Amino acid sequence: MTMLGFLIVFPLIIAAILLVVRNNAARSVVVVAASLIIGLASIWLVAVGLNGASPMYFELSSPLIDGICTAVGVVVAVTVVCFGVKYKNPLAVVLALIQVALSLVFEMGFAHGIHVETPLYYDQLTLLMVFIIGIIGSAICVYALGYMEDFQAHEPEGSPDRRPTFFALMFVFLSAMFVIVFSDHLVWLFTGWEVTTLCSFLLIAYTRTEEAIRNAFRQIVMNLLGGISFAIGLFVCALSLNTLSLTEFLVIGQLAPHIAVLAVTAFAFAGVTKAAQMPFHTWLLGAMVAPTPTSALLHSSTMVKAGVFLLVKLAPVLALCPIPGGMLTFVGGVTFLVCSCLAITQSNAKRVLAYSTIANLGLITACAGVGTPEAVWAAAFLILFHAIAKSLLFLCVGTAEHHIGSRDIEDMDLLFDRMPSLARFMMLGIMTMFIAPFGMLMAKWATLEAFTTAGDVLLIILLAFGSAATFMFWAKWMGKLAGIAGQSRNVELTVHTSEWIPIMLMAVLIGLGCVGLPLISINLVEPYLYYVYGELAFPIGFDNLLIAGIAAIVMIVVIFAGLGHSTARKVDVYLAGISVDNNNRTFKNSMSGVTQATARNWYMKDWLGEQRLDLFGTVACGVFIAALYVVAALSAAGLF
Amino acid sequence: MQILITVIGCILFAVLAPIVGCLLAGLDRKISARMQGRVGPPLLQPYYDVRKLLEKDHVAVNSSEGVYITFALIFAVIAGGIFFSGGNLLMCVFVITLSSLLFIVAAYCTRSPYAEVGAERETMQVMAYEPMVLLMAVAFFLATGSFNVSAVFSQSTPIITTIWLVFLGFLFILTIKLRKSPFDLSYSHHAHQELVKGVTTEMSGPTLAKVEIMHWCENVLFLGWVGMFFVWGNPVSVVLGIAVALVAYFLEIWIDNNFARVKWQALLGSAWLVALVAGGLNIGFLMYW
Repeated sequence: MTMLGFLIVFPLIIAAILLVVRNNAARSVVVVAASLIIGLASIWLVAVGLNGASPMYFELSSPLIDGICTAVGVVVAVTVVCFGVKYKNPLAVVLALIQVALSLVFEMGFAHGIHVETPLYYDQLTLLMVFIIGIIGSAICVYALGYMEDFQAHEPEGSPDRRPTFFALMFVFLSAMFVIVFSDHLVWLFTGWEVTTLCSFLLIAYTRTEEAIRNAFRQIVMNLLGGISFAIGLFVCALSLNTLSLTEFLVIGQLAPHIAVLAVTAFAFAGVTKAAQMPFHTWLLGAMVAPTPTSALLHSSTMVKAGVFLLVKLAPVLALCPIPGGMLTFVGGVTFLVCSCLAITQSNAKRVLAYSTIANLGLITACAGVGTPEAVWAAAFLILFHAIAKSLLFLCVGTAEHHIGSRDIEDMDLLFDRMPSLARFMMLGIMTMFIAPFGMLMAKWATLEAFTTAGDVLLIILLAFGSAATFMFWAKWMGKLAGIAGQSRNVELTVHTSEWIPIMLMAVLIGLGCVGLPLISINLVEPYLYYVYGELAFPIGFDNLLIAGIAAIVMIVVIFAGLGHSTARKVDVYLAGISVDNNNRTFKNSMSGVTQATARNWYMKDWLGEQRLDLFGTVACGVFIAALYVVAALSAAGLF
Repeated sequence: MQILITVIGCILFAVLAPIVGCLLAGLDRKISARMQGRVGPPLLQPYYDVRKLLEKDHVAVNSSEGVYITFALIFAVIAGGIFFSGGNLLMCVFVITLSSLLFIVAAYCTRSPYAEVGAERETMQVMAYEPMVLLMAVAFFLATGSFNVSAVFSQSTPIITTIWLVFLGFLFILTIKLRKSPFDLSYSHHAHQELVKGVTTEMSGPTLAKVEIMHWCENVLFLGWVGMFFVWGNPVSVVLGIAVALVAYFLEIWIDNNFARVKWQALLGSAWLVALVAGGLNIGFLMYW
């Protein structure tokens, strides 16, 4: 329990220190040391959890913490209201007021009678999240040191240096994530939930440009809707189920799904907004305006992962509740297909990554909605590998952007020449996202098995077509990177060490994860499934995982040691015999002039127009969610 | 134990598939020639071609292309080994996709204008056939209760009886996978096309020989997928499976010689439509009836 408290409080202390430290060197020392400590503490907790009894519940009775939760809720609301007034966004103000009113009424009027004996806990799913937050999250903080130095250098002269706030927010974010995964007390969990919403609002608005402010408000409005839904869920829990413990709620939900329908639907809705599912996906796309470490943090280890964490926790109840379960499978499946197709039409690397994140979260959401042990197995590995691979990709894109001056994939031509190591890391990240034998594809395989055994035709079809679209956008990006001309200048010599170390760490984690997948399954995921469902699930089979693990190692060796070592005699490329300069790909055209051969990637915009597809996904998912929410409310009203 | 069987399967496949694939390729050229009113080359001409390629100097535009191709070939062999040793069908599908990806990246990395066009088209072709292949694997599971290919031998009737619609859908995309006209956008055997050997423009000598051997292995594997639909508990049914695979191969050659290349829109649209209708209906039927 000390460890749990430490992981929550320590980042807060660091945040307070970082807020006052204005010296670059001092900040670097504090951030590196703190990240190291958080990382080691997380590993230690995971090790303890694996060896000892798990799940563990901790008794704690403290009116002080309840008071702090209320205060934090008020602070969050006041901050949003201040920003809303300053930047004239009445919708955000109204929503923040509604939410704070709801939670105050709740805590004054309803919550007092209900005592949660064990407000803190951890189980194997929590440990998985601790690993992701503690290792990947803090690695991103280290990366941000070098990145933000370059970022500040690229800013216009005389612009204020907000880095102290930036780093403080990053650490508050980590603390809030730990609160979410450790809290069995739903009100505490809700507090962490609110803090992550506020932190990402402030991080997105970091540059204070008009676009940043607009996108930050889009984020806060959507997540406040989710927050209000969460508060409704709390009301229902307290009133009709008389509990505020997540564990008890899940037990009651499994025993009597019909009385938990509205609460589960309300929580599921909150999860859907946080996990940026359609129609709420626009906030995550807008969040790209923030500095890249923010995107890496939001996409991989925090924020959206909080959303799917809650959904996966709810999975056993969702499997029994067709209303919220159907809502999640439909929304998740459609989001996966639509966003995978939309990713094909994008040339902005961060936007491709954002669409891919939303699509993969869709898959996790659909798995949670199916709710069988196999589906949860798949969801756990999707969460893990997505976190590692996506943070690797964001870090690579961020570094590339500062050294080639663009985040457009078309400008990443010849990156294999210009930034040889970085391009290889990026290729590893891309392959991890979409191709066997790497982690994400093994998890998708389990997803396909889970959907098949669950007998959901629609999900199988959405998955099959979505996966095909996934192949297209990753393969063409990888092809762009792979180009070699052998003439370009190496521009990666000035990359900061603080950027290389997290990038390498992610690559190592990918290797370990792919090889150790069976071990993670046996020690972490299966015990969780056994504890929750009383049965085991091990979808893919040990032999196949073994083959995949060996193949993954082979591929990693090929990428980092094999490429570029062939001894073949070099010749120029074929330009149909009328070339002028082969290195520049220029040739003599039919008018005897000189033309350069250029190639752009394929975007299929006529087929997969962003507006049309986006509209379809938004309307379909929006109507579906609204309809099922109403149905859930009606069914609950009939029960009261 | 399964691992050992897979390894043995891979070794056997590595030896036998190139021989069978080479003969099939020779047959293809002979039959195509007859359809066009020519005599055609000797049956072993593909073998002579590859032998000659292997004897040539190792020349390349960069030092990575050959590495990609080597591993594309290795993974194609592993996919075949997994399939013919009765291993997991999905695993086989995923490994052959990895092989396709490496083939595509090999073309991209040359930065030759022709190879780049070929690589982009090849990527689009993978996207076109992938849904049907995945749906085929799911239908296989629903028909046999397992993803293991060996499960066909414990069936009392061949799976074609329950998933014939999926089989028809698979036959459609087989034309893409075998790179036959009208769907030979990235890599063709017909000299009159606007882009003939797009993907392999920059590949020569031993590298090109590996590509040829890889195609032989792929052809054997895909025809194995065809035969799989017609095999059941009776061991004699293997003969039937082989016979049907050969008929399918003949059909593909016939299609190749009788249809003009289509545009990519027609390829992608028709492949996805076929996958949706054939795969969706068949799987829905198996699940709900």
